[in-house]
Amino acid sequence: MDRALFFGDPFALSSPAVVVAFPSLDFFRALQRELAAERERFSRLGFFDTTFGIRVVRDGGVAEFTVAFEVFDCVRVCDGVEPDVDFVIEGPLGAWTDMLDNIHELGAADTAHSLNTLTHFGESLKVRYDDPDGHDKLYRFAESVQEWLDLSARVDFRYPDGTTPPPRRDVPRRVAR
Amino acid sequence: MSYLSTTDFADDPAFVDRFTRNMRGDLDLSWMKVERERPTCRPLNERRGLTFRDLDVDGYGFTEMPELIRGNRSFAPRGAAMPDGLPDLQADVNRKSDVWAYNVEGYYEEAMSRQWNTTTDIPWADLDRAELPEEIGKAYAQLLTFLTEVEMIATDVPAKWMGRLNADFFEVKNFIATQAMDEARHAEVFRKRALTTGYGLMRASLHNEHNLKFLRDADSFAESSLTLHLQAEGMVLTLFRFSEYIAPTEADKKLFRLVMQDEARHVGYGMQHLKWVMDNAPDKRETIHRHLDEAENFVFGAGYATEVLEPFIILAGKGLKKENIEQGVRITNAFQLKQTEEYFERLAKCGLPERRERSRLWKFVELNRQAVANLS
Repeated sequence: MDRALFFGDPFALSSPAVVVAFPSLDFFRALQRELAAERERFSRLGFFDTTFGIRVVRDGGVAEFTVAFEVFDCVRVCDGVEPDVDFVIEGPLGAWTDMLDNIHELGAADTAHSLNTLTHFGESLKVRYDDPDGHDKLYRFAESVQEWLDLSARVDFRYPDGTTPPPRRDVPRRVAR
Repeated sequence: MSYLSTTDFADDPAFVDRFTRNMRGDLDLSWMKVERERPTCRPLNERRGLTFRDLDVDGYGFTEMPELIRGNRSFAPRGAAMPDGLPDLQADVNRKSDVWAYNVEGYYEEAMSRQWNTTTDIPWADLDRAELPEEIGKAYAQLLTFLTEVEMIATDVPAKWMGRLNADFFEVKNFIATQAMDEARHAEVFRKRALTTGYGLMRASLHNEHNLKFLRDADSFAESSLTLHLQAEGMVLTLFRFSEYIAPTEADKKLFRLVMQDEARHVGYGMQHLKWVMDNAPDKRETIHRHLDEAENFVFGAGYATEVLEPFIILAGKGLKKENIEQGVRITNAFQLKQTEEYFERLAKCGLPERRERSRLWKFVELNRQAVANLS
């Protein structure tokens, strides 16, 4: 665990000027920093205790990551899917790109791009799991997971083909504050 | 006023004498001389704070609690010294395996930290700007009417049992108190949303209400938990996820994400409770199956009733035209299969893998699956 993420000045750690790649460990580290910068907001959502995998399938291979949340923080991101994760969110690069483009453009996912909508029937992204109790954690922490993904609107990133998500459109925020 | 004191304190010389001496400064202090263990409780994780798990220490904790609670029939908090003469409250539930769940203390802490507020956490002003076509608005209002009915009884059931559990089951009582609050909030949010659609509350569901009565009138907490936490809420959890999927606005999506969080926590308790029962009272297996036989009969009648099913079809297909209905039927079929599969998946994980073979609901789902396959 990078203690500096939790005990330093959280706003100083958010560094939008750095362009990272998606999928990459740097991308999930950037989300980790953004979450640390929003600690108060995530504290209001409540304890967030789950560890899950991300799997991005693309031509020529698979990119896998594990993200671990504890109390109100993202405490660990690493390459590969650890064996005891609660669930894995999996999908082709195109499905991830579609979701991230939408979030980047609007500041948060719209009705067609919320994680639950994209995974519910596994049409776009799928949720893999061995233990239904672990699977249900995706729903126990649904709003935290969604708002964590929505933080990607604040990250500058590019896709493997060199393209970037569309710039932000000025539309009203989806969620009440 | 059915419970009367055996003492008229104002006329009791010993009581009045002691009171008078106390008020003159002549203190008794017998309570201070009671031999007590001095616990050491500190947060295991300072970022999380002091949790119930941090209080699981000798003399006070839950790990060492026996299966049968014979020592405490009163309101005495677990670990307190108990003077002679405490009342027998005649708790209905005195067996740990009837109520306990792995990690119940964790579910309580999670519930407390993840509370939300219907009035201020839903962007109601955004919903004012959302115009729904009439058939969508009415279907949504009917779904919300059904959900309001469900959540009202889901509030009543844990509240009914709270005072009937032995006081030693402190963590469980607190957890189901949070559940009652969660369900009350769900009834509130669905009622508010039904009225803000502009269509108001539609028709109450006859079949659904019979199912809810069955839930409310369970003979024991164990039966009640099995059908409420695991079966009903498990199915409602899938329903909330489906409702988020078909929700017409972003604000509605947020509403369903917030209710699904609470519901998933209740399902978690239900699963961990059933696992505890199977690990500690395996002789109850047949009783559980018999209760589920009837519970599944009721849930089939309620969940597949016209006023519940048709709004799903209209909302999923986004309208009443033929092509909308066809699409809606396809999506609703997929939802029902998913809902039932997840229910049996949870039972299997809890130690009842044979439930599928025994269940008439599962047989119906299999038939339904074949019918869907033949259509496509």
